[in-house]
Amino acid sequence: MTMSGDGQAGASQVALVTGGYDHTIKLWQAHSGVCLRTMQHPDSQVNDLEINPSGQMVAACGYQHIRMYDLASANPDPIINFEGVTKNVSRVGFQENGQWMYTGGEDCTARIWDLRAGRQFQCQRIFQVPAPVNAVVLHPDQSQIMVGGQSGIIHIWDLKTDHNEQLIPEAEASIQDIAIDPEGKLMACVNNKGNCYVWSLGGSPPRPVPRKHLHAHNKYALRCNFSLDSTMLVTTSGDCSAKVWSTKDWSLIRELRHDSQRWVWDAAFTIDSRYLFTGSSDSYARLWDLEKGTLEREYCGHQKPITALAFRDQAV
Amino acid sequence: MATYDNKAWLLKNIRDAFIATDDTGLCEIVMAGEDFSKIFQTKAIEEKKRIKNKTINKPSTSKDRDSFVEDDEKEIATQFDPYPDMEDSDEDPMYGSWFRHEEFGGHRQRSNTAQWLDKKELALKKAAKIKVIKWEGPCPQLTDEQIVEAFQKVEVKRPQKQRSLLTEQLEKCPDFPHRQYLEYAKFDGTAQLGLPTKVFKIFMTTLPEKLQNYPVIVSVIASAKIKDLIGFTCYKYSIEHPEITLGSVHDYGLCIAEDDGEVDWAFPCLDNNEPCSKFGFTCLGLIDVKQKEKIVTTPIPDLDMGHSVFCFPKAPDSGQSHVNSKQHTGGSDTSEIMKAMHSVTEGNKGFGFQSGPPITDAPQDKLYRVQLLHKMRTSTPVQLCITLDQIEVVPLVTQKHAFWSRPKYFLHSMNSVAWCQMLEAKSNKTSFRIVYSPSHDTAFNESFTSGTSSTFQSTAIYKKHDFECDHDTARKIVDKVNTILDLRNSPCRREYKNAKEKKLQTRRSFHTKQLKS
Repeated sequence: MTMSGDGQAGASQVALVTGGYDHTIKLWQAHSGVCLRTMQHPDSQVNDLEINPSGQMVAACGYQHIRMYDLASANPDPIINFEGVTKNVSRVGFQENGQWMYTGGEDCTARIWDLRAGRQFQCQRIFQVPAPVNAVVLHPDQSQIMVGGQSGIIHIWDLKTDHNEQLIPEAEASIQDIAIDPEGKLMACVNNKGNCYVWSLGGSPPRPVPRKHLHAHNKYALRCNFSLDSTMLVTTSGDCSAKVWSTKDWSLIRELRHDSQRWVWDAAFTIDSRYLFTGSSDSYARLWDLEKGTLEREYCGHQKPITALAFRDQAV
Repeated sequence: MATYDNKAWLLKNIRDAFIATDDTGLCEIVMAGEDFSKIFQTKAIEEKKRIKNKTINKPSTSKDRDSFVEDDEKEIATQFDPYPDMEDSDEDPMYGSWFRHEEFGGHRQRSNTAQWLDKKELALKKAAKIKVIKWEGPCPQLTDEQIVEAFQKVEVKRPQKQRSLLTEQLEKCPDFPHRQYLEYAKFDGTAQLGLPTKVFKIFMTTLPEKLQNYPVIVSVIASAKIKDLIGFTCYKYSIEHPEITLGSVHDYGLCIAEDDGEVDWAFPCLDNNEPCSKFGFTCLGLIDVKQKEKIVTTPIPDLDMGHSVFCFPKAPDSGQSHVNSKQHTGGSDTSEIMKAMHSVTEGNKGFGFQSGPPITDAPQDKLYRVQLLHKMRTSTPVQLCITLDQIEVVPLVTQKHAFWSRPKYFLHSMNSVAWCQMLEAKSNKTSFRIVYSPSHDTAFNESFTSGTSSTFQSTAIYKKHDFECDHDTARKIVDKVNTILDLRNSPCRREYKNAKEKKLQTRRSFHTKQLKS
């Protein structure tokens, strides 16, 4: 294995991208911990990062912008800049074929951006909610979007029918993040009280059925995410930890802490569900071996807290 | 070699040095109103105008008066002008770093508008490469077909169990040596956008010699401290050379080095807690602090040559060593620099140092008191001892506190001395140069200490000492050294002569070619 930083991460398809308060986005060679490239994210922190389905680009959202960066070139500037949003954009994601992109933000909307070029019709759509949006997630069936925010309501927006349903897991608590497992059978959300709520989605008709309430953290929870095999759920929090839960019996599998680790803002699993990346306010990203519970790598280079990360793995 | 008879230059440099080395910023406030360089610059312009007017008023034979005047304006030198060769003297980066401020030497400050325009242009160029997509209001009505096309529900498949490439990569590379320096990775200047950075050439003197040939070029953020620079250098080096193990960051210090990587051991290490931005040097040597302590604390050698050679284990490299009894491993140097500043001015007063009478009258062994000229345009009194076998430079310590003039002790075998010549004769003193080759000296030291014969290296690097004293002494010394050199006709001298001759020939041939064509 060479460690030369020649920007080949795009080619090898394993890419770890982090972003944060220092207005930069960094691309890492995940296995060595060496920073390959730094990209500029001017005038704003990075609220969320998502690698597009082709693996060529990474989308970063921040104040009033969603920017797309080319992962394969050495260009430190974005190649596409989406504008026209008045406030912070808190989440970004892609439809599985890359046809459209969805975002949610503090302007109390969720939006669908058509990414197909040179089309006669554009499928731009907007969904207004009563409160700032903190979390948006697309159901794996590609036709429903979950939107959650300050009001504590989760709106289930059906893109086909334009109908929506609401869920209120806890009064007077804001939804911080929502996740749906890759099989589309479980939905989880975390709120600012540190609570995690889980629903089953697999029933017929497919509507959410409350499944579990976890008192996951004592403080503000920030993110939740399912592993690709749906056996694990990770929740991250302002209590300086990330916790990995078993979806079978909802027991705590791992509590990931480090002496210098502060708020844990984001987490991502590898495709074999063996490792987990976390990004923290101490400006380090970390790689944890979930089988052994050990810290395997640290990624140091950011000057300020890491608030978002994206990881793209490759199957062998 | 420059002297310090230019008021403007001296004042400007002293002023800048005060401001540059004052952490509190008080100096700058106090001296804010007295920017001599500017005052002298205006004076120089006025003077030039005056001289120019004089020449214009004189009857001129030149037909093209305008061009004459223009050309002439550059030629007019006033007493307020800085040294003409000041800008192109880049043989010594050290001089440039401490004494001369970046803006000195006539870089015109660009106007705010020009800077703003530049920035704007750059931003425009950048923006031209970025595709901007504005949010367009939602499409009023999508047909069912269109909805089906864009938002078709797909069947969710259970993801297959997959092996991860990352897991494989991690297994292949269990760990990396750079990990211990990881905390310094954040000082990487190449990974920053918008932060001021500094680039250094760092010579890894702690490594085996063959690995020292090339400096590590590191870029760090300007606010990084020297200890962070050390850490980052280790980090970068261990990434590039994972097979080499470096020690703990705390064992290392950074010293000023020359372009060729030779560390100036007489200087203290840069203060670990000072930010890099404070120092102007770009060539540094990473040294082992303990090793430096060993060298620095070695007692003053007596003049018995055998001892002095044994005393300085580090000496063979260049045939030099140190007469410092004071430890300095990176304390705050500001006060020392100040003292050094004083010593410059004092040193200048005593410039017309006269050589003392010979202490011994033995025909072959002569001692001379001369001034050793430093690259920083200062000089220290030394005793030059010339025998048939060697040249010894023994510093006569007069300025104990001035850290930069803490003199070095040199001992060169006559076999390693290649050349001696007069340089420049001034009103009351003459400078002369002795050229030597450290590689031949190494051989000398080896043979000297072990008593075995040695082979000379074929590729030699030549270094020089410049001295200054009165005319007679200078002539005597040069004559004497040349006589000895001619007598010995060592390989070193022959090689040097040959090299010189070749150089001359190529120059000549080039010249004649040019003339022919």
